Amino acid sequence: MWPQRPILSEQLFGYAAVTTEERLKSQIESAFETVKVTVPRRQRLVVEASRDSLALVLMFLSSKGFEHLCAISCVDWIDRGTFGLVYHLASHREGIHTMVNISIPREDAHFISVASIFPNAQTYEREIFEMFGVKFEGNKRLIPLLLDHWEDIPPMRKDFDTREYVKQKFESIKPLESKE
Amino acid sequence: MDRADIIKALKAPGKWGQKYSLWAVYFCTGCGIIEIPPVITSRWDAERFGVIPMATPRQANLFLITGYVSVKTLRAIIRTYDQMSDPKYTVAFGSCPINGGMYWDSYNTIKRIDKYIPIDGWIAGCMPRPEAIFIAVTKLWHMIDIGAATGYKRYKENYEYYKRNQEKVLGPLPHYGIQDAERPY
Repeated sequence: MWPQRPILSEQLFGYAAVTTEERLKSQIESAFETVKVTVPRRQRLVVEASRDSLALVLMFLSSKGFEHLCAISCVDWIDRGTFGLVYHLASHREGIHTMVNISIPREDAHFISVASIFPNAQTYEREIFEMFGVKFEGNKRLIPLLLDHWEDIPPMRKDFDTREYVKQKFESIKPLESKE
Repeated sequence: MDRADIIKALKAPGKWGQKYSLWAVYFCTGCGIIEIPPVITSRWDAERFGVIPMATPRQANLFLITGYVSVKTLRAIIRTYDQMSDPKYTVAFGSCPINGGMYWDSYNTIKRIDKYIPIDGWIAGCMPRPEAIFIAVTKLWHMIDIGAATGYKRYKENYEYYKRNQEKVLGPLPHYGIQDAERPY
């Protein structure tokens, strides 16, 4: 059985009282001064955190019922010179999806691992390390996951030229007919 | 069997045996494998053409490359192909093994499978219908008859060429089989 979604106050009383999202927003903002929270729509929460506060924000959210880390995604903002890391958290009790955004510099990209808070983060960080080259300090298993015999720069970076790579790796091989 | 085939079969009984006992190895790459269950089961019934799927590569002699081949899959394909016993026939299925298909500029997908293992026949299309597999099988019969399905011989003759291409993509591979096997006698 899925847990039942809480009945909103506007459904009950006809006017909006403080929703769960708003309540969480004020709780997070009162706990952390530098953190900015927006509610783009119902059941969504976007948290703009800083690099230092991220681990604390994640611990705070996990104590508030966000115990599922769905994914960690990485965005290459090549014009700004940063990588954006997005930690997707879900609360199945409240039915709310929270995205915690941080940005790290693109040069010599490294960040702390959150595998001690969410153990399943180990695999997500491994994939980001392989595809973007972001090193996660404290991750004990930062070894290649998907790619095989990779020697170039990480393939999901924006400055990686896929077409050029294909030309020199696959298309440079002559077919058997033209061997002689 | 057709009556006209009797003379052919008497002339070359080996070819007759190879033609009508094609055992396809169960090996799924990419999305083309979705066509294989209807082909081998009651709807299209590949057994009419003598094609039966086999779980192990050592007892199979038909290899259908069904769909795109990623670099990691190529390693398994080469391993499987090396294990199959002669005479063995390979058919590339779908447009991805031919020229990359929709993965034409993907960093992780093999563009032309012909450069890494020998291919006897190609089925173009995305996806080919199950009937296309039977057309390919009947073409393969004809090729076996006239002695044109010689992929396994090409592999032995140009082993250095294939091995060099495989190692360019996959890194160092163990050299075993044809080159290094020590004869027991």
